Amino acid sequence: MTDGTRLDYELAETTLDNGLRVCVQPDPVAPAVAINIWYEVGSYDEDPSRTGFAHLFEHLMFQGSRNVASGEHMALVEANGGSVNATTSTDRTNYFETVPRGALDLALWLEADRMSSLAITEANFAAQREVVKEEKRQRYDNQPYGNLLELLVAQHFPGDHPYGHLPIGSMQHLDDATLDDVQQFFSDWYRPSNARLVLCGPVTPEEAFELADKHLGQVPALDRPTHTASSEPSLPARNITTHGAVPHPLVYLSWPTPPAAHDDHLPLDIALSILADGHTSRLHKSVVRSQRLAQEVHAASLPHLRSTSITTLMARPTEGITTQTTPDALREELHRFAEDGPTGEELARAVAQYERDWLLQLATVEGRADLINDAWLTYNTPTHVNTHAAELAALNEDAIRDAVRHHLVAEPSHLHYLPSEVSS
Amino acid sequence: MTRPTVSHSGAWHFPEPQVSTLAGGMQVWAFDLPGQHIAAMEVILPTSLTAEPREVEGVATVALHCADEGTLSHPDGRISELLELQGAALHGSASQSQTRLGGDAPAHRLPAVMELLAEVILEPGFALGDVEHHVEMQMAAFDSRVASPGWVAKQALRQVLFGDDAREGRPAAGTPQTLGAVTRDDVVAWHASQWVGADATLVVAGDLTGLDMQAALAPLEGWTGTGALPSLASAAGRPAQIVLVDMPDAVQATIHAGCLTVGRRHPDWAALKLAGHAICGAFASRLNLDLRERRGYTYGVGGGFTARRTDGQFFVGGSFRVDVAADALRRLLDGLQLAEPFTAEEVEDAKRYLVGVAPLANETASDIARQASVLAAVGEHSSFVNEHFAALELPTAGQVSAAFRTHVHPDAVSVAISGPALTLAPAMRAAGLDPVIVT
Repeated sequence: MTDGTRLDYELAETTLDNGLRVCVQPDPVAPAVAINIWYEVGSYDEDPSRTGFAHLFEHLMFQGSRNVASGEHMALVEANGGSVNATTSTDRTNYFETVPRGALDLALWLEADRMSSLAITEANFAAQREVVKEEKRQRYDNQPYGNLLELLVAQHFPGDHPYGHLPIGSMQHLDDATLDDVQQFFSDWYRPSNARLVLCGPVTPEEAFELADKHLGQVPALDRPTHTASSEPSLPARNITTHGAVPHPLVYLSWPTPPAAHDDHLPLDIALSILADGHTSRLHKSVVRSQRLAQEVHAASLPHLRSTSITTLMARPTEGITTQTTPDALREELHRFAEDGPTGEELARAVAQYERDWLLQLATVEGRADLINDAWLTYNTPTHVNTHAAELAALNEDAIRDAVRHHLVAEPSHLHYLPSEVSS
Repeated sequence: MTRPTVSHSGAWHFPEPQVSTLAGGMQVWAFDLPGQHIAAMEVILPTSLTAEPREVEGVATVALHCADEGTLSHPDGRISELLELQGAALHGSASQSQTRLGGDAPAHRLPAVMELLAEVILEPGFALGDVEHHVEMQMAAFDSRVASPGWVAKQALRQVLFGDDAREGRPAAGTPQTLGAVTRDDVVAWHASQWVGADATLVVAGDLTGLDMQAALAPLEGWTGTGALPSLASAAGRPAQIVLVDMPDAVQATIHAGCLTVGRRHPDWAALKLAGHAICGAFASRLNLDLRERRGYTYGVGGGFTARRTDGQFFVGGSFRVDVAADALRRLLDGLQLAEPFTAEEVEDAKRYLVGVAPLANETASDIARQASVLAAVGEHSSFVNEHFAALELPTAGQVSAAFRTHVHPDAVSVAISGPALTLAPAMRAAGLDPVIVT
């Protein structure tokens, strides 16, 4: 595994009779076994007038089921030396625990119990709604630039588009949610045919399939739900200026870029690394170090499964330079890159960095199980974890240049985020 | 389907490093971890921020961040490019009692990476433009921190616990005023006096199979010098206070509470770690179950006991809805009274979690290097980890309750809150709490 092109994890797949897909990555020397379930439902699947529901529901999955009391799922896993959590994104809801091998049976039983039944009361529903509202305040509303992501998304997607809102949702919609909505959401999406289970750790495929079938195989089969077809948002590039209680003026350039599974996604990631990752990057050398028009430049992408993703470049202008000036310098460099591409050494550096990060993510059973599920949802096969490094090694300078030429030369949207007292 | 039982496997042990000392005096802890192809390195300088001249506080942080911008042999960022080509990434932090410079890299490339790392340590160029850039970056980072309610509460608690006159009571990375006074000469002088080899420890962890470690470490053989050891005095106790930092636009009250305690070498330490988990560390901790799960006041309560160089600290905190924050704080402080002692079940759950999660918390080379470097920084051996896990098995519920009551007196717990004082102050007074308001 010292050469990323030769990654070769053993992966065994099966589908249970009720439609649950199971993948096992046996790792006999791992210290524990990771159980990772991705339900294929996220904020994309919400009614735009009922946002935040997939995430609220994620909290409710810890509030009890037929044989498990409220909060007992987390408490049991922790008390057996395990870690446990869940996350919600636009396209999936992820429940995961990592437990000592001796607790695998229990963990699968817990997952099966809440896949087949919910036991939410009005009281714990009301408490969790408040918990989620506090999560929104803590992570977004009470942070400088806390609404940044919301503003960026709104530049690219109309409010009624499935990607037009964030998973955290709106306070009003959270307040409006009822227990009936919860039951309906569970019925619509939480079924074996809409889930993928990955197990990674000291367990053989035979043992794992048997345990999965013993517990999760008992959940009744229901047809696989379908997702709303997504349209291209096709909003024109837009400029927005917003003010807030923030410490620095920032400018964000953003472009619609291809969906997560598109072939251009990886070369675009590498291009962004060459352009804006750290002090050796193109934009840092040029716009920060040489021209002194900015103090820092960063890139990020927000991948989407079913429609365009969003790619951003952020700059914090140098004192005395406005957010109107810096974008020209950034775009000039992008145009140069789109003509000439990266040097061989720039590509080699970015590939070496990407490969290290990739191997680090795979180094824990929890991280590996999550990447396997990500590959499974995005590329429709878990084996993509074994071929991804080879795709990386196969990239050449032309592919990187073309990715920028095709996706980052067009007129971007501009978001100027200014401290309240700054006028432009 | 009946609930399955859990079988518990044998004990886990923290790995033993091979310890050696280089000619210049630096100690090396090498952990050979077969299968860990991404290796981790940590260089620990036991230098204290108390050594920073007060008028240029932050110089340790600026020096650390500037070090890999350019070296005498590879100036103008070339050193970073060479590190990147090897697949290496560096990171570091200058904290109150140590400076750590570390990184991750493919294990088979360690010899080349060590050579470059040695250059960063021994001959940083500290070009004027780089120093100026990093001073500006730290000033901007300060502005970002003071806009963040979490940092404001954290810093306010440090100020209450240690006082303005102690280095620990002031921001670790300096303030705009002190950073603005940092010159290239200050940075060079800090590096010359504090980045000294004989006091340092290097931790290397990863698959070292087939590597000639002696050759790999050769570039650091000659790193000498001594004198960076900080004083080992514990912080002086100060009277408890409740401080409310007014952030009129904040939509939550961020509460940080805590007190100084005994440290990792005290006989009660294992009992305190168990108590911390049971009262505020676990998801199913007393305070999280009450304030989050039962009442929906917060996204979560967290905390526990942390060992410092010679003493320790108890911390508990969370962010609360403004209209219930006073009630939350009242309940939180009442919970620390421990009216009901810890039950045998609570303590057993804490033991099984803290001992059972250890293999997961030490799964990768960087986990091992990070844990070892924490111990190296305070002059402990890595065997402390195994001693501690053995000690965690011993305390009874009665001993855990007694230890908590002995070392955490609720009336000696200080509280720092960031949030809108206009709403919070009257509610707190009505709840019998009397905050000092800082605007």
